[in-house]
Amino acid sequence: MKKLGGVIAVLVLAAVMAVGLVSCGSSSDSSTSGGGGGKEGGVLNATYASFPDYMDPQLSYTAEGWTAMGEVYIPLLTYKHAEGKEASEVVPGLAKEMPKISNGGKTYTLFLRPGLKYSDGTPVKASDFPYAIERLFKVSSGGSPFYTTIVGAEKFAETKTGGIPGIKTNDKTGEIKIELVKPRGTFTNELGLMFAAPVPKGTPNEDLSDNPPPGTGPYKIINSQPGRGWEYERNPYWAKANSKAMPEYPTGTLDGAKITIVRNPQTQVNDIEQGKYDWMQNPPPADRYTEVKEKYEGTQFEPHDTISTYYFWMNTTKPPFNDVKVRQAVNYAIDSAALERIYSGQIKGTQQILPPGMPGYNKFEPYPHDIEKAKEMLKEANPSDMDITVWTDTESPNNEAGEYYEGVLKELGFNTKLKIINADNYFTVIGNQSTPDLDTGWSDWFQDYPHPNDFFQPLLSGESILQTNNGNFANISEPDLNKEIAKLGEEQLGPEQEKAYEELDKKYMELAPWAPYGTRTLSTFVSSKVNLENIIWSPTFFEYLTSFEFNE
Amino acid sequence: MTIDPQPEAAIPAGGPSAALPAAPEGGSAGYGPWRLALKRFLRNRVAVAFLGLFVLIVVFVLAAPLWANHVAHTGPNETHTLEKLHVNGEVREVVTPEGKPIGPQLFEADGKFFLGADSRLGRDEMVRLMYGGRTSLFIGVVSGVITTFLAVVLGLLAGYYRGWVDSVIARTLDVLWSLPVLLFGIAIGVSLALGGVTIGPIHIEGGSVWVPILIISIFYTPYVARPIRGEVLSLGEKEFIEAAIAQGAGPLRVMFGEILPNLASTIIVFFALNIANNMLFEAALSFLGAGVQPPNSSWGTMITVGEELLTTQPLLAIIPGVMIMLTVLSLNIVGDGLRDALDPRSKVRLEAHAGIAEPQGTSV
Repeated sequence: MKKLGGVIAVLVLAAVMAVGLVSCGSSSDSSTSGGGGGKEGGVLNATYASFPDYMDPQLSYTAEGWTAMGEVYIPLLTYKHAEGKEASEVVPGLAKEMPKISNGGKTYTLFLRPGLKYSDGTPVKASDFPYAIERLFKVSSGGSPFYTTIVGAEKFAETKTGGIPGIKTNDKTGEIKIELVKPRGTFTNELGLMFAAPVPKGTPNEDLSDNPPPGTGPYKIINSQPGRGWEYERNPYWAKANSKAMPEYPTGTLDGAKITIVRNPQTQVNDIEQGKYDWMQNPPPADRYTEVKEKYEGTQFEPHDTISTYYFWMNTTKPPFNDVKVRQAVNYAIDSAALERIYSGQIKGTQQILPPGMPGYNKFEPYPHDIEKAKEMLKEANPSDMDITVWTDTESPNNEAGEYYEGVLKELGFNTKLKIINADNYFTVIGNQSTPDLDTGWSDWFQDYPHPNDFFQPLLSGESILQTNNGNFANISEPDLNKEIAKLGEEQLGPEQEKAYEELDKKYMELAPWAPYGTRTLSTFVSSKVNLENIIWSPTFFEYLTSFEFNE
Repeated sequence: MTIDPQPEAAIPAGGPSAALPAAPEGGSAGYGPWRLALKRFLRNRVAVAFLGLFVLIVVFVLAAPLWANHVAHTGPNETHTLEKLHVNGEVREVVTPEGKPIGPQLFEADGKFFLGADSRLGRDEMVRLMYGGRTSLFIGVVSGVITTFLAVVLGLLAGYYRGWVDSVIARTLDVLWSLPVLLFGIAIGVSLALGGVTIGPIHIEGGSVWVPILIISIFYTPYVARPIRGEVLSLGEKEFIEAAIAQGAGPLRVMFGEILPNLASTIIVFFALNIANNMLFEAALSFLGAGVQPPNSSWGTMITVGEELLTTQPLLAIIPGVMIMLTVLSLNIVGDGLRDALDPRSKVRLEAHAGIAEPQGTSV
């Protein structure tokens, strides 16, 4: 379902790093560190608040999983290890160069770099790529819909036998040729997702979280114990083979890392303050956020803007939200300033689909907060059904946002009922059309890759309304806009397309299937032993393990 | 505290009427049994004091609408995230931009936010405490009534008819007793919180207070029904029952006309103690998210909300906790006092609670 991930251009930080690079002048490995003053080696002791959904490159679809495995499984293409705008740049990973796109955007040709090896010593073959894609379908991964435009993939998804005819490989030359049914403007991005990272042929087609398959990155995962933690150690074939084959990919300074699951974020903060752990992956709890920020910002703490939209969806198929006036009234009634406080300042108010940092984003405020106007509009619309159920999940402060939203709706005159669902299965519950009373509720969306289509196609296109695992919670299907999304999805992103997405954003906000309220800030918090300045925050993978470095 | 695990032993059959022969030792031969019990209870200063405390708590929570409408001017679920208070010419934000709720204002803001705001939603803690107490007490008392009703009916049926009726009822109660109450309560609470439940003509909406009431009532029934059954069994051997039957009284008449009045003292004592237990169970369920559902407050849910702000506003968790403690403590002590008063021969293990050592046998 949704995934956590993303950051916008933190130009200030980039500038600081650039200064650091110039001023320090030490001769540390330039591919791994932007600043200086660090040292080689050491084992990072870190904590996550929860174990990732899966420790398996083809299955994981959460921020935790992508952060954990980002430096272990390198896809054919990958994202540049950089801050800011550059971080969204897709660069060659295991592939020699960017794909050659021909046949009107329907054929992608790539060549594998020679001499690559997995962490168990098996040579990487071109045919491992289709194996991974097939595995994706065989294990029914949440990421498989990204690859259904490959010729034959749709059928393979059903039969799960016979291979995908649209991918042709040559193990001798390393050639990988992918044929698509129709052009797909986001396919380059999707080749850079970990879902498509090759794994050795013969890797079992099942969840391998307790024994992750060998990867190609600088580190390998050992000792993975779901629910408790895992460890990293150096991939022995990185230095021997892969780093020579792809010299621009950072090697990292750490010898390894040990991750422990600490479920209480208060404890996590204390442990980092005391130096028991060196890094916490999740942000500090709301109660400690300000304190941590004031005390450690710039030295051990760094907030990051993300490319995300937090919003309340309204089911456009049922009264009262089938009336656009009602939905607009709700938009006027929501005050994102209040929600900013509810999130302890960890969101920034927005009123549109696309978040800052996303191509096509152009700030506009269609519904300035005005409760009186909202009440008036609602009176005009005079919906027949005023009994509604409001949905949210248990994770603080989303539950409080839901309570706030329910209060606003009550003030507008609705008879409301609040349902707070456990965060582990919230999206499964509200994504199932047979759940009764799906009227309105909370959701968020973090980008999978820096392309505006990732906000419209899965969340607002009529094509993505599904019976289960639905992502279009508003159930909105506007034929014109569906067509527009499909058309834009086939094109490569350029200034013209960005403009078109900007227009799409406005058109959707006029229809108001959502009441968007903010974009999330996440953060990095490390102990005093770690060099904060060098840590690279990526919009897709968050903190890169290779960018961690201990102070001298 | 939990209800005495071997309550059969705790309250020998009889109650006030059985206590009657004991009366002359106290030199109060002319009094009826209830009057006598009242006299004994009033002599127990600690129990009387805690009864006063309990009454105060009840008055406090009943006054919730008065305080909300005339002092705080806000409801328990109204949010005030962006509001500002003007206190002595100084502007104070109910919730700071960093998300820190305001602390106790006492009377500085004319009673608004007397105990501060409850969370980043900026709801009035005092108002929520009063309304939350209403919910907690309501659940405690209503579950107590239901539990007692079920327990008395089941206990009477099992104890009077014996045989297979007794076997079925007693074993069912045993099974219920053997379940891990809290875990089971959480499981049911969580699943019912979503969809609600329909039992015959009664439909309970998910998220309604009747969900925890139902869970608590059912799970605590065996704790009351078993001792009552034991008592009915022993009462059934008594001559006055034989006499009633000989006079031609039917089973219903015997059960409700003869046996039930003799159970009165036991029922009263258990009722008081049961409310206390129910409130604790409710608090536990609500704290774990399986009881009272947000945005409504109960003391249990208020502790959950407060726990998150434990480092910056510890009072938010402490105040509802203290309220629960005081209520449960007072009910327990009153319950023990009642037991002593209604059945002075019972000298069984009542001293341990809350460290109050009230000499049982000598109070009469």
